Amino acid sequence: MLSWPLISLLFAMLVIVWYLSFTATRLDRLHHRVETTWANLDAALHQRAGIALEIARAGVLDPASSVILSTAAHTALVALPENRSDAEEDLSEIITSMVNIEVLGADLRLKAFELTESLNEVRSRVRIAISFHIEAVNSTKLQRSRGLVKLFRLAGRAPNPVRFPFEEIAV
Amino acid sequence: MAKKLKIGMVSPYGWDLPGGVQIHIRDLAEFFLAKGHDVSVLTPAIEDELLPSWVQSSGRPLAIPYNGAVARVSFGPVATLRVRKWISEGDFDLLHLHEPAIPSLSLLACWAAEGPMVGTFHATAPRQKAIFAVGPILEPAIEKLSARIAVSEMARETLTEHLETNAIVIPNGINHNFFSEAKANPDWVGSSIGFVGRFDEPRKGLDVLIRAIPEIIESNPDLRIIVAGPGESEDVLKGVDQSIRNRFVFLGRVSDVDKARLLKSVDLYVAPNIGGESFGIILAEAMAAGTAVAASDLPAFRAVLNNGKAGALFVNEDSQDLARVVKNLLLNKELNRELGKSGYEWSKRYDWSNVAHQIENVYEMVSAAGEKVSLGSDLRGWMRSN
Repeated sequence: MLSWPLISLLFAMLVIVWYLSFTATRLDRLHHRVETTWANLDAALHQRAGIALEIARAGVLDPASSVILSTAAHTALVALPENRSDAEEDLSEIITSMVNIEVLGADLRLKAFELTESLNEVRSRVRIAISFHIEAVNSTKLQRSRGLVKLFRLAGRAPNPVRFPFEEIAV
Repeated sequence: MAKKLKIGMVSPYGWDLPGGVQIHIRDLAEFFLAKGHDVSVLTPAIEDELLPSWVQSSGRPLAIPYNGAVARVSFGPVATLRVRKWISEGDFDLLHLHEPAIPSLSLLACWAAEGPMVGTFHATAPRQKAIFAVGPILEPAIEKLSARIAVSEMARETLTEHLETNAIVIPNGINHNFFSEAKANPDWVGSSIGFVGRFDEPRKGLDVLIRAIPEIIESNPDLRIIVAGPGESEDVLKGVDQSIRNRFVFLGRVSDVDKARLLKSVDLYVAPNIGGESFGIILAEAMAAGTAVAASDLPAFRAVLNNGKAGALFVNEDSQDLARVVKNLLLNKELNRELGKSGYEWSKRYDWSNVAHQIENVYEMVSAAGEKVSLGSDLRGWMRSN
């Protein structure tokens, strides 16, 4: 015959186990979200570099701007993972300054309407993808920093998610 | 040369922060102006008012990341407009474009102009992956150059590797008299080694020299190292042993006159650079001051020191070999004097009178047909409509 204290102990353990497994599942879902948001961002960045390269090669820019843009776009496309952030940051900086001095401005819109439209579109896609990725990374980091998660190693072997420096600047 | 030419020179980099290329252009332009040619220089610049009358600004340079460094260049619609205007109003006999493969004014000018054009390539760089992407843009422009000049064998090799085109080598120039006639500063004379340059850049190799100092001091107890150039001296001294810190005299950024006096005063000029040098103009300047030179055996330095005959060479990045060479030259006064003398004689070939004469010959050749520089045929209509 089970005594009441034993029953409540078993019940409490059941609750704890359930809670741990719930948190682990939640963490797993978060890590998964970091991966999918990164995959989206990665795809958007590739598109951006591709369109930048197309614009540079379309013969609508002055040659100096073409060289600068295609160098940066090409470098971003072929960058190894360890250089990727720097390369994307350079490309963001160059696109921003080119928009500012009207290299990628109204004049170009007249000559290559579709390309500039695609670039604008992909830039806003990159912006959105960055904010989703940063959000996923931040909430995952927050969950991982909880004592319970650390104590029971609920994150398992999932790598600690990171924000890249290029995500902090204007694109 | 009997015929006076109207020469248009283009600098790719901002005039306000003079580097090797800008100084080369300035000296060359002044030399040709003094010879009676008409010279106009087009360059990015921040301050219009401070420019000499023969320098025209294309607008502010923009600092952009390019190939892993920050380049202060000019591009875009406004720069393009100014370049075209300058060409069409200049009525030039020829254009001399510096670094036309750098995405800046020179490339814009090369693209826009037709007629006699000379290009000078200064930099050396390892082959970049991105060259496949930019080759199709650069090649048609570089093709238009009637003559290509590289400032050193290394710059020529870079050009051949990147753009599969060749060039003749005409070295950088110096004002030989300015250095040979400089007055020594008594403060810097005696048991002194000179070093000039951005000493906190690792590739300048001050570290290699620092590591050799303890051994050199053994036989030269009064040794001092006079360092001129911009940089944070405290950062460098942090890593240096307490006992030898007071051997270093940091002068900061110095004027041209003080640089010449420094080169004249020291017993020995040491260039421990570990790479990335295209020419080594400072070695030619030290030699012109009559000072013995010891340098690492980089290909560029080997060339400017006549393979070790005009200055001593030590194994690159080898502090022990540096110490051996420097000790020898500080102790053996006779050898030091001999080396200084042969360096002095050798350096005369780098005087502008000689170098500019070679460039003038190139000018004469490309402009022999009497054709003038004009905007490309596709742009002439553009000029009328603007």
